Amino acid sequence: MTVAVGYLAGKSGKSPLYLAAEAAKTLKTSLTVVTVVPRPWMTPSLGRIDAEYAQYAEQLAATSAKEAQGCIDSIAHGLEVSYHKVAHRSVSGGLLEAVDELKSEVLVLGSAADGKLGQVVVGSTADRLLHSSPVPLTISPRGYRGSKAGGLTRITAGYPGTPETLHVVERVAALAEQLNVPMRVVTFAVRGRTMYPPEVGLRAEDSILEQLATQARETLAQLKADGVIGKDVELQVVTGNGWDEALDDADWQDGDLLAIGTSPVGGIARVFLGSRGSKILRHSPVPVLVLPG
Amino acid sequence: MTVPRVSLSQQLLRRRPVAGAPVAHGASDHLKRSIGTFQLTLFGVGATVGTGIFFVLSAAVPEAGPAVLVSFALAAIAAGLSAICYAEMASSVPVSGSTYSYAYTTMGEFVAMGVAACLLLEYGVSISAVAVGWSGYLNKLLDNLFGWQLPQSLTSAPWDATPGIVNLPAVLLIAMCMLLLIRGASESAAVNTVMVLIKLGVLSMFIIIALTAFNADHFHGFWDKGMAGITTAASMIFFSFIGLDAVSTAGDEVKDPQKTMPRAIIAALIVVTSFYILVAFAGLGTQDAAEFGSDKQAEAGLSVILENITGGTWASTLLAAGAVISIFSVTLVVMYGQTRILFAMGRDGLLPSMFAKVNPRSMTPVGNTIIVAVATGILAGFIPLTWLLDAVSIGTLVAFITVSIGVIILRVREPNLERPFKVPGYPVTPVLSVLACIAVLYGLRWQTWLVFGACVGLVLLFYLFWGRHHSALNAGGADGYIPTAVPGDDDVMFVAEPKDHHFVTKHEDEP
Repeated sequence: MTVAVGYLAGKSGKSPLYLAAEAAKTLKTSLTVVTVVPRPWMTPSLGRIDAEYAQYAEQLAATSAKEAQGCIDSIAHGLEVSYHKVAHRSVSGGLLEAVDELKSEVLVLGSAADGKLGQVVVGSTADRLLHSSPVPLTISPRGYRGSKAGGLTRITAGYPGTPETLHVVERVAALAEQLNVPMRVVTFAVRGRTMYPPEVGLRAEDSILEQLATQARETLAQLKADGVIGKDVELQVVTGNGWDEALDDADWQDGDLLAIGTSPVGGIARVFLGSRGSKILRHSPVPVLVLPG
Repeated sequence: MTVPRVSLSQQLLRRRPVAGAPVAHGASDHLKRSIGTFQLTLFGVGATVGTGIFFVLSAAVPEAGPAVLVSFALAAIAAGLSAICYAEMASSVPVSGSTYSYAYTTMGEFVAMGVAACLLLEYGVSISAVAVGWSGYLNKLLDNLFGWQLPQSLTSAPWDATPGIVNLPAVLLIAMCMLLLIRGASESAAVNTVMVLIKLGVLSMFIIIALTAFNADHFHGFWDKGMAGITTAASMIFFSFIGLDAVSTAGDEVKDPQKTMPRAIIAALIVVTSFYILVAFAGLGTQDAAEFGSDKQAEAGLSVILENITGGTWASTLLAAGAVISIFSVTLVVMYGQTRILFAMGRDGLLPSMFAKVNPRSMTPVGNTIIVAVATGILAGFIPLTWLLDAVSIGTLVAFITVSIGVIILRVREPNLERPFKVPGYPVTPVLSVLACIAVLYGLRWQTWLVFGACVGLVLLFYLFWGRHHSALNAGGADGYIPTAVPGDDDVMFVAEPKDHHFVTKHEDEP
């Protein structure tokens, strides 16, 4: 068991390393830095036509490991860190292979480099993994440098209130108990857009939102009544005009982690992020843990 | 359910308190007092034009002959006066929504249910009527483009002049709108503007082309059908002014409403009425009044007229395409309105709570939308268009009369209430509005009254036997008022909140 983190020199910064180091510390396990390099042409040939390319791949892996080591040495004292190189024609495929080989319990990825600092930005690699990873996936916001508290201080479970997503709450509750951190359950309710021409007033959607929030409150209260979560778990319904507003207003704290489930449409026990989930993900100011369905 | 301890008359007259109902708040702050006269006029034109003009002529002209022009003016006056009264009501009662909400807040539960019945008829039937009209234009478009159209049996209702089995395109249109509404789609202001331009564009094209074939001889025998014919036609046409009341609901967001509101309503009315009258005038100039009712023009009437004039199909194709696009958006908007009215009733406890259930996945009232789609789909599939047009008008007219009377009641009972917009010329205007509506109502056929009476009667019976026992205003009722969830507000829950907690404000000041 280990925490695997995908890292490539010059790509997406050091934020996943910080998150992965924290995760390994919290889970009291080892950390493996995985670098996927392009696979050279393996066909034997007298001309060694691909020698430079193989050399380049080697060098890339070495640089990545060195960079990662430099960073990790300064933040992760006492952690058992190993470096793993995979040659694969696609980065996401390589990561999946590594996850399988290392039997890692969680895969950590960084945000793509072309978004705003502090926000989760899904790049092409993460996008594919969000629809195929067999293990939970964590994505760090761009520029994430670890929590000031030095680790996890709370887990927030995003729960839309549908029966299929109840497992998210159950798993987060188990995890929170195992790690001995507080937990909260949040339902995000987003206002529908105003219809034009507004034959029944410009505020018709407000009452829908209110009703949605009321129902969500009842569903959340039911979680406690059913004993799915403990009595001290914080429950919250956050409403907003859009996903960005709702996510902004959810009162995040230092060291928070947002856990969301994935759509049941995908394969069995795979991460397959739904449309709502990807909206939540993209607007989250804290690292997001995506659990397989 | 607890047995209410209030008397029946108290139940019938109890009013929904304004407190606890959603009052102006953050959600639409960006809209607050930001709409000017011009925008509001566009708004009104957008909401009104094109609902009925694409198919109302073929139903109305046979009734009134060339004097249908007078019918348009009559319907326009009734609509304008009502809209002005509606605006005062909307501005003085700070609740969101439709005539139903205003009636509930000002005139009590029983009247509110009556108004709700009118609105159900108006919205439900107008969705169906518009969908049936769409089907005619779709078929015309298919014919022009591909030389193929759906067989008669699949585009006519069983009780049409030429009977078919079911009006399939109309049913499909409603199903498409249902899916969009369940997904949470909405028409934005920008889309609406494009739709208005399309509608006005194709109507202008019709006017210009039709005027080239103008022949004054067709106006001979202008008054032949007499007053009865004129009012009958006016009551059908009234249907095409629905949507003008949408202007009134924007009362809170309007800059200087006292001036802006009547100006915008009148300006929108002038634009819309001139367009309608020009369309009717140009159309009448091209052919004999009797021809409007012919089988060929019963569906997609305007397109057929263009075809007759140009001898080719390009103009008729353009018009049919414009109609197909814009009527789709009208259906979506009206269906949306219907679901939201039922939603409000469900929340108030006057309908089963399933109408107020929001699906957590799609965040829209799914069950409610499906029920509306099934009901209107059945109407659209099996009931002929002319019947539908009449039933829409009667619901709207009665709702408008209620609002006009409501304005007078509210002035008498609560003279000091703050009213951002007051009806000019009170008390003459509301009285005139009632009279104008009655004049238009006068022309309706007795069968329409029967349908209307049955609909209102059923709803009121439902209220007497079910609604009044389940109203959220009953002490201990299941659905109380909930505190407004202001978007963006955090709402942390109490650890020990009683299950039956509700926030119905006690209102001792009630009679």
